[in-house]
Amino acid sequence: MVHALEEIRRLIKPDGFLIDVHPISTPLIKVVHGNDVLFTESDTGYDSHEGFTDNALEQVVLRGLFVIEGEAEFEMIIYASSVAEMRDFWAKYGAYDNEPEDEAIVALKDAVYAKADEIMQNARGAEITYHERARITRLNPDASG
Amino acid sequence: MTVRVDPENNEPRALFDLADFNGRRVLEIGCGDGRLTWLYADKAAHVTAIDPVEGSITQAKENLPDDLKSRVEFRHIGFDDFAAASDSSTFDIAILSWSL
Repeated sequence: MVHALEEIRRLIKPDGFLIDVHPISTPLIKVVHGNDVLFTESDTGYDSHEGFTDNALEQVVLRGLFVIEGEAEFEMIIYASSVAEMRDFWAKYGAYDNEPEDEAIVALKDAVYAKADEIMQNARGAEITYHERARITRLNPDASG
Repeated sequence: MTVRVDPENNEPRALFDLADFNGRRVLEIGCGDGRLTWLYADKAAHVTAIDPVEGSITQAKENLPDDLKSRVEFRHIGFDDFAAASDSSTFDIAILSWSL
């Protein structure tokens, strides 16, 4: 990760900058009906590489390669009207992924979605939502680095 | 009903608070199917968007609107290989899009 950041610094102009967007916590799967939250569970199979990215960014700042110019957090929410629709959406991304998912993780994920589906069957008009919290950081090359 | 991704526009709001893409040369690393690329590409002078996953790049190329074809280039390549073949000080902005 640090090597990639070093290379990015080389590729950008001295007055350019880097924007990094990365997740900062395990996403949540919810079933919502209007303002009511009927179900909430973590996406247990999600690998956020929690902490790795923050550590890499901290290292390049400490080494004087970049300075943090700005930072913010935001939440990405994905909405679907059924569990099948949400799973199809993620399956599309999974289909592009070269790494097969661990069987135990797949089983946990299946259980979470099955529970969400059961709740949705009894709550007409409910939606399933996927909540991912992220940090966005602007890093400028440190002219002294 | 289709899946809705970030209908609140939280991601573009955060992105445009930190970056002005007007007339800039942009490198997007880990562009996937171009979901983030479409948010800023119409403002940039040129976009090079790379991803090591062939299926994602194929999808991105299929979704590329005609009016952006002259300034958005999607490439199926890993970052290390791309960097090794690239000159220094080429881009105004680099974006690591959920990929570091």
